[in-house]
Amino acid sequence: MTRIAGEDSKREFSAGASSFVRALWGLDVRVQALPVRAGEAAPRRPRFVASNLWLPAAPLTGVPGRFSDYLFAACAHISAHLRFGAPRFSIQSLKPVQIAIISLLEDARVERLAMAQYPGLARLWAPYYEARADGAKTSLSLMARLARALHDDTYTDGDAWVTKGRQLFLEARSEWHEPDFCRRIGNALGNDLGQMRVQFNAKDYIVQPAYRDDNIGLWHFEQEQTEDGTALESEGVRRVEVEAPAPKPRERGEPEISSKRDDSAGERASALRPKPAAATETVTQYPEWDYVIRSERPAFCSVKERPAPAGDTAHLATLLAHYAPARKRLQRSALRLADRRPKQIRRLLAGDRLDLPAAVATVVARANATLPDPRVYRRIRFQLEPPALLLLLDLSASLNAVAAGSNTTRLELARTASALFATSLSGVASDLAIHGFSSNGRHELGYVRFKDFDQPYDEHAQARLAGMHASLSTRLGGALRHAGQALAARPAARKLLLVVTDGEPSDIDVHDPKYLLFDAKQATLGNRRQGVNSFCVGLDVTAEESVKRIFGAGHYSLLERLESLPQRLAQMYVRLSA
Amino acid sequence: MSAGPLDVYRIPEEPYYLALADEVSLFEAAYAARLPVMLKGPTGCGKTRFVQHMAWRLRRPLITVACNEEMSASDFLGRYLLEDGSTRWQDGPLTIAARFGAICYLDEVVEARQDTLVVIHPLTDDRRLLSLPARSEALHAHPEFHLVVSHNPGYQSALKDLKPSTKQRFGAIEFDYPPRAREVEILTHETGLAPDLAERLVSVAEAARRLKGHGLDEGISTRMLVHAGSLIHQGVSAEAACHMALVQPLTDDPDLVSALKASVRACL
Repeated sequence: MTRIAGEDSKREFSAGASSFVRALWGLDVRVQALPVRAGEAAPRRPRFVASNLWLPAAPLTGVPGRFSDYLFAACAHISAHLRFGAPRFSIQSLKPVQIAIISLLEDARVERLAMAQYPGLARLWAPYYEARADGAKTSLSLMARLARALHDDTYTDGDAWVTKGRQLFLEARSEWHEPDFCRRIGNALGNDLGQMRVQFNAKDYIVQPAYRDDNIGLWHFEQEQTEDGTALESEGVRRVEVEAPAPKPRERGEPEISSKRDDSAGERASALRPKPAAATETVTQYPEWDYVIRSERPAFCSVKERPAPAGDTAHLATLLAHYAPARKRLQRSALRLADRRPKQIRRLLAGDRLDLPAAVATVVARANATLPDPRVYRRIRFQLEPPALLLLLDLSASLNAVAAGSNTTRLELARTASALFATSLSGVASDLAIHGFSSNGRHELGYVRFKDFDQPYDEHAQARLAGMHASLSTRLGGALRHAGQALAARPAARKLLLVVTDGEPSDIDVHDPKYLLFDAKQATLGNRRQGVNSFCVGLDVTAEESVKRIFGAGHYSLLERLESLPQRLAQMYVRLSA
Repeated sequence: MSAGPLDVYRIPEEPYYLALADEVSLFEAAYAARLPVMLKGPTGCGKTRFVQHMAWRLRRPLITVACNEEMSASDFLGRYLLEDGSTRWQDGPLTIAARFGAICYLDEVVEARQDTLVVIHPLTDDRRLLSLPARSEALHAHPEFHLVVSHNPGYQSALKDLKPSTKQRFGAIEFDYPPRAREVEILTHETGLAPDLAERLVSVAEAARRLKGHGLDEGISTRMLVHAGSLIHQGVSAEAACHMALVQPLTDDPDLVSALKASVRACL
């Protein structure tokens, strides 16, 4: 299996980082890895724009301590900006050196305010202040020393410029709640540096200490409308053009690398979920079974996960309204299933423990010389945990056909069935996912997740279901393997893959109908070895032969009346889970 | 006042309880009216301590029953025991309380099976009657008998909730974590911590409470803070005490553990 690099490492950290920011300030942020562009050194500083955070995916060179400590320090700093920052500064006629110094003062200001609330933050940040009072008198060194002087009252530095900066900053203490003074002092300090004939080169400037962000989020760039990042360079801040993302997404507060997402809003808690929707198309390769050569063709089929487009939920709601009684019934059965409390079974001939009232009754009966009831034991029956369930929909073009004896298409029925399923079980079975697939040759097995495990069945999931559409062909094997992988990763003891398909697998690049059939059968067997049981709901009664081949006798059910799909599907779940 | 069966349930010393609102007078009024009381609120916010305090204040013995799903009606009411070839009836905790006039406190009442709880129904309306079918006895509750239950709504509420017919028999008092200043006060009283350190511990708790519903089922409770405080009192460093008493018991998710540990460092 090949996964697009960076996906996993990025995800691992983002959950902890966004929880940390939420814990500190109650703010919701989205954390992502800083993109690294080919052929360039790793990006050098974290970045934030509005509530989007970009953090390095790997340790930066020359940064001390554990990488995770560094990331939390960076998050703490950026979240201080988010909590105490004001609207972005406008650049107007500022020189690059002034921009850098004003940013530095603003960094110190928000950190001071944050530390007033969380004194321990000082310890989080302290290891990264490495500037020393005996450093060279370059602009880089002086600014790093000023940063340290503003942060640490015990630090001593004999330099007149650093001393003046600290003095001005501390004198402005009463103004710390607003950033305006930063501009005033920053202008003055920038002029001083010019008069000291200390060179400042915007291209070489790097923010110190290393946990701080690159200040992009603090400034409002007049030329943001331009497409290329060079506009920022002409503003003289720094080498923005090599540190993606480009300015356009920034202007919307939306990162470039995730612009393909369909549900950018309301993603607050998604970082906490084990599997957030992929930012881009994710490709996973699977082998295929060739029954002629009786062996697998390795990495033969590419499953491409795509974000599901959103649709109109109002229509879905009307469709669903027809099934209100069925829904009530299902909810009740689902609740019963989910009630895993042990049940006592009393008055047994044999059991784990004595049923005390029955035993007493027996002794009393014996004393009275009446016939004693020998059933004096009881047993506790533990209910099985409901299975993790993945509903896999075959979304090939044949689904667009109008269902026989009905006036809706099979697609509408599949959509309604999924929605009924999800509404009935939501809140009860969290281990529920609804995925779909359709293929266009072995390189193009499209796979969408309408609702994933641990995702709530909320308006986004509903919109994705409403946006479901059918096209192309049915390469069942690869989809079964991909769904099997997703299920196998679930912690539940039982795993159920419920497949809704309307006939035999087929695809444009396969001419032997038996090839895909045997491949799908192989995929089902492979899933079973991983503890994933499959069950098929067939929409085409004439395809019984192939469905039976793939899923095995007793593992399928064919629908005579297609309109009953919504109810039948949910009933199937209840029956299979009990 | 009857001696004997209730003596072990008496509370001689005043249990510390810091009133946050009018809960004390509300409880007293409910007691005077013999209206059963339900205490709602997250775990560890002081519900049980409040009942102990009220029992002491009203000078009534307190019989606590920690409910669990294996409980049957006879665990509440009582049962026959065998003794020397004959049977002897033994009152259950609810029966003792009703017979002799104690406050009966059913802790975490939703944990008991709801069909079992129906036995309390006749006792909680104006009949104040406890029926003991096994003994063919209808017991009229003692005038001082009072029933109190606690429950933590929200947690797994889809699966565990009281029947409406049970709920509606009670007057309810809602509890929550105390406001910052009060929580600091409680913490300094219970553990002897310096107010400054107590305040930092409360900051840790507030940070974790913001994660409720964002990965955590429950935030850090006042009880957990007291645990952390007593560890610190034993000489454990504040950070280690927070990890042991606040972070690790709260979640097993490695991401959340690291986020909480970073929050602890930020607060201390």
